Amino acid sequence: MRHEIKKICRIVDELTTMFLKDDTDEVDFKIITSPEKAIIRIVDYHTNYSDQMIDQLRTTLNNQRQSEIEEYYWQLAGENDDDDEELTLISAMIDTATVEKREGNLYIELVRMNR
Amino acid sequence: MVFSNRIDEKDLHKEQKLLILAAFPALFLIFGIFYGLVEGTKGRTILEGLSAIILSPTTLITDFLVIGGIGAAFINSALIGFYNLYLLKHFKMRINGLLIAAFFTVLGFAFFGKNVINILPIYLGGYLYARYQKIPMKNVILVIMFSTALAPIVSFITFGGIFQEGFSYLMGILAGLAIGFIIVPLSSHMIRFHDGYNLYNIGFTAGIVGTVITSALRSFKIDIAPVNIISESNNPWIIGMLACLFIYLIGAGLRTNPTTLKDYKKILQYRGRTITDFTSLVGYGITFFNMGVMGLSSLLLVLLLGGVVNGPVLAAILTVVGFSAFGKHPKNAWPLVAGVILAGLFFSYDFSSTTFIISLLFSTTIAPIAGAYGPIAGVIAGMLHLTLVTNIGIIHGGINLYNNGFAGGLVAGFMLPIIDAFKRGDSRP
Repeated sequence: MRHEIKKICRIVDELTTMFLKDDTDEVDFKIITSPEKAIIRIVDYHTNYSDQMIDQLRTTLNNQRQSEIEEYYWQLAGENDDDDEELTLISAMIDTATVEKREGNLYIELVRMNR
Repeated sequence: MVFSNRIDEKDLHKEQKLLILAAFPALFLIFGIFYGLVEGTKGRTILEGLSAIILSPTTLITDFLVIGGIGAAFINSALIGFYNLYLLKHFKMRINGLLIAAFFTVLGFAFFGKNVINILPIYLGGYLYARYQKIPMKNVILVIMFSTALAPIVSFITFGGIFQEGFSYLMGILAGLAIGFIIVPLSSHMIRFHDGYNLYNIGFTAGIVGTVITSALRSFKIDIAPVNIISESNNPWIIGMLACLFIYLIGAGLRTNPTTLKDYKKILQYRGRTITDFTSLVGYGITFFNMGVMGLSSLLLVLLLGGVVNGPVLAAILTVVGFSAFGKHPKNAWPLVAGVILAGLFFSYDFSSTTFIISLLFSTTIAPIAGAYGPIAGVIAGMLHLTLVTNIGIIHGGINLYNNGFAGGLVAGFMLPIIDAFKRGDSRP
């Protein structure tokens, strides 16, 4: 896969924009890359998202990896701060997403397998 | 914030979704064979019609209903439709909104510009790109389907009389291979110009590529003369068949999701900017219903304006239907239509002319502007679209079939920074 690192950075860029704009003032990101996969761990502190929204976020992010959409549109990720359509793009660029709310914080782990 | 809706609908297997889509080429094939046989008794056989379509330079605007006859044109569209469905099945693609849009776009443009021969080198070029980059062909097939917008380059170089026969075949194939090879990285890069607000992004990319190629040809004193071969009379069978197919889509939507009528308003909350895949956001039932509604509305609009449902208009209607699975719905489309009609009134356009009708329908390529910034911005975008689209064809000499996608990209790229300049502060609540 080409531009692998840049694609991971785009995912982080998109989610940073979303959380800082919509939800919180404090976010942690941890990115781990290996030859097999990349893992992005996010902590969105003091989340204001309701349980229903978190449930919807989980559903959206676990939609399914879609390589043809990724190949065509990956450069759109993180480009715009006006709307949330790019979350669908993020879901097309990752294989699995774990989304949990614990002690008032939102914990997300995204896994992107190298293909 | 807009996420996926909880969708409670009948689970459709991939084959069932493909079957729903296959109804279009299947009916086109049956209609084409019967109509072609009738036309054959009057002088032009189906094979002669298909041969005329394949040997045409196919530059804008070449209506295959005129060049090859109604029967051959529908058979050409059906064959291209089945070929693309086969590819989707072969590569085990998830039938998402974008693939539905690509399928209907290719199906529609097979009535003016794409034929069973001139698209093949472009697919082969895409295959070579995938091999070169060591990525699966399924990753690029979507872009390649759309990129057949530049198929007229293959036909023009092969049959336009600029090279000796024989050598021209080689040059035509090489041109198609080159387009298929470069279009994937180009289209991915060009989308940043309009930030995804122009749904026909490949039209914008193909406009740039077409401009470069046409300029190069002109440097060699080879000019691409524009043509205007269009059918001037309506055929009630074609109109009836289209209406039945759109009602069929509405029926398929209601059958897949029985609560579609109640839940249809959910689709209207989406702005439509790329990527708005309705199949994953609201499910297949509401998506098929929306496609049928948009198809019927487009057909009705054409007839109300006194237009003719010829090859280019068929392409426009089917493209609108396809992109109704990927961003378009009545709420974000009407301001563009209103803007084009207003500009048409102001500049005294003939509302029944094919050029005006296709500009009207294709203007919905920038429906996301109305979806994101409201109906007034949408109306202004529609007015700008008409003024641009009628003037930019000359730049690429008519070898980019998605001329409206090119214009839409320019309008979006021009308007978005201006809209942003009028916004104050940040949009954080």
